[in-house]
Amino acid sequence: MNAAILNDMTKCIGCKACTLACKEINGLPKDAPSDVLSSKSWTAIEQKKGINIKRQCMHCNEPACVSACPVGALTKTETGAVTYDAKKCMGCRYCLISCPFSLPTYEWDKPLPKVTKCILCYDNALKKGEQPACTRVCPTGATKFGDRDELIQEAKDRIAKNPDRYVNHIYGLTEAGGTSVIYLSSVPFAELGFPVDRQDEAYPKLTWKVLSQIPNIVSTSGILLLGTWWIINRRIKLENNENNSDDESVINS
Amino acid sequence: MKEIKLPKITFWRAVLVIIWTMGLYATIIRFTKGLGAATNLSDQFPWGIWIGFDILVGVGLAAGGFVITAIVYIFNIKDFKSISRPTVLTAFLGYLLVIGALLFDLGLPYNVWHPIIMWNPHSVMFEVGWCVMLYTTVLFLEFSPLVLERFGFKKPLAFMRSIILPLVILGVLFSTLHQSSLGTLYVIVPDKLHPLWYTGMLPLLFFISAIGGGLAMVIFESYTSSRAFGKELEFSVLAQLGRILVVVLFLLLFIRYKTLSANHALQYIFDGSKESIYFLVEILIGIIIPIILFLIPRIRNNKAGLFLGSVFVLIGFIMNRLNVSITGMARSSGVNYFPTWMEIAITASIVSAGFVIFRYASKYLPVFPEHKPAAGKVEAPLIAAGRSGSRVIWVLGSLLLIVSVGLALEFSSIPKTADVPEEQIESINKVTATELELPAPIEFEKGEDSPGLVTFTHETHVDPDNPNCTGCHTSMFKIKPEKAGAAGSVNMEKLYEQEQCGKCHNGNDSFSVDECEFCHYAE
Repeated sequence: MNAAILNDMTKCIGCKACTLACKEINGLPKDAPSDVLSSKSWTAIEQKKGINIKRQCMHCNEPACVSACPVGALTKTETGAVTYDAKKCMGCRYCLISCPFSLPTYEWDKPLPKVTKCILCYDNALKKGEQPACTRVCPTGATKFGDRDELIQEAKDRIAKNPDRYVNHIYGLTEAGGTSVIYLSSVPFAELGFPVDRQDEAYPKLTWKVLSQIPNIVSTSGILLLGTWWIINRRIKLENNENNSDDESVINS
Repeated sequence: MKEIKLPKITFWRAVLVIIWTMGLYATIIRFTKGLGAATNLSDQFPWGIWIGFDILVGVGLAAGGFVITAIVYIFNIKDFKSISRPTVLTAFLGYLLVIGALLFDLGLPYNVWHPIIMWNPHSVMFEVGWCVMLYTTVLFLEFSPLVLERFGFKKPLAFMRSIILPLVILGVLFSTLHQSSLGTLYVIVPDKLHPLWYTGMLPLLFFISAIGGGLAMVIFESYTSSRAFGKELEFSVLAQLGRILVVVLFLLLFIRYKTLSANHALQYIFDGSKESIYFLVEILIGIIIPIILFLIPRIRNNKAGLFLGSVFVLIGFIMNRLNVSITGMARSSGVNYFPTWMEIAITASIVSAGFVIFRYASKYLPVFPEHKPAAGKVEAPLIAAGRSGSRVIWVLGSLLLIVSVGLALEFSSIPKTADVPEEQIESINKVTATELELPAPIEFEKGEDSPGLVTFTHETHVDPDNPNCTGCHTSMFKIKPEKAGAAGSVNMEKLYEQEQCGKCHNGNDSFSVDECEFCHYAE
């Protein structure tokens, strides 16, 4: 199963039960503001233009953060969730830089900080065959858990049945190579602050194009360097020999 | 009575003491209270000057090491041998300082070794980490002859000389890889980095500009140390570097122009935005002015002129790295990052430590060809290791005093979160309850034989610690009023059949529906 979440913003009433359920299951302080993503609120209900936007990690199909992490602390699991292993992390924060949606957060207030983000309740629910806390408590079904392909089909059906209710776009279907968290909206996504110019190609491909050249660069430049040294050294030797033989001939004559 | 000699207080020593005191204080704050307390970094702007300056500039300016060793050992141009030692020393020091700076920036610095055993070959950062590690080892080996020679270890010295060529080749390879990879780091952020700096060619640009910056650093370092140590400048050699720099800068200018036009980004150059101004200043100072300076023979063949040109290149190089890491990332982040004084103090401490170590290394090691180990005329060092115990104690003591006073002030001014009074904790819990945005109370229409009005409140039916709306919605009660059918759908018949409210109000899970007055308030 490719676990996914469909966030239908036309259905969200902004009760914030999801944010509290998230804090409960992840042991986060309940008094932290839940209208903005932070290390203490891994999902947030942000209000723009009267629309409630449920912010959380998008769980990309090919996540930039997973490719960026030098120690493999971030993993795209077989379930679809992008998880984090604090034991491996060294705190370089390249994941925060590389995320095309700028979603991971950091414990700036702690001397020994961790990277924090939604992990789809991987350890606390997903692994046990349960659904994440946020989708479990949602009273309106605005945030719905399911298989990615099925949810995409459902999203398409919803748009088809109510073309007046939705803008004809499933955010996350193709953005950044596709994400496991997808959105439906009644207002154009750009007006809600969603980055709408994200490329459809997965982001790790950008850096992999460069990194995959390394063996070529190393072998070519290695040979070039050795070759240059050999040629130059040989010339110098020959020159010296010529000079020496000239000297000898002078002495002999 | 023994006379206690105090170190002479000169201007530069006073500056150093001030910088290091501030740096020490900032270090303590950084490691006891976290990055948030010491820096202006945030989720929106996770990399500041510790990455932009300490790492990107630091590594770039140490590039002279691999360029000069390649010129001497691979291209066999022996003229440059005279400057190869100070250059290797600069590079080695540079990398050590970069690694030191990295420990400040890493959230969990004690995990810095993790890439050695935890591999992710798809990560640019992983590759940078490995190459920096390997190249620092190479630099250590290239630097070791200075120490071996100083202490007269003949055999190891001969061995080191025999493996110098493979070492230099490895050094060039590792350098090529990670100098360019520092640019590759930003290839993954096409949407975040401003189009004046973003290009898929960033690795190439970083590599070439590092050669430029590294060579400028060699000129700068040779000129300043010749003045500081009063030795003859290897001037003919440096003037040749000026010529090489012209080529490098032209190449850089050409590729910058090509990539900008290919990305249709030329329009941004003169659009008057903050980015365009920073870009123009960077190109002008770092590329165009030094090209003009170095092209004029009268300036290039003049010590001061050459020095001036290299300073321009250095400033331009520093601007370039800061523009990529800070200016160019600002707009998309939505925040205005400017470093705190603590970030600046730590960076300044590291840079000044570099100058001090270089000074002592060149004093005690055979760095410069004609250098003889100084015997009698040694100036009193700032912290005279082993020479005068009392002097060391005096300096350290005053440092500690200043830092402890500063810390005491800092800690006393911040309320301790651990000692929050009981009332405040209660109010925090109340905040929690209100955090859940519950609908207004629902007043049910009063039926004919009803003993009193019923008002339903969500507050008493939701556990804020474990909100579970789905217990009731939408299986038992619809949410929207038109669907819920107001009070009509709730009636006592169903409640007695343990449906609707009766599902929980059954006398077991909660009070029974027989307790009329619990819900029906008499008027």
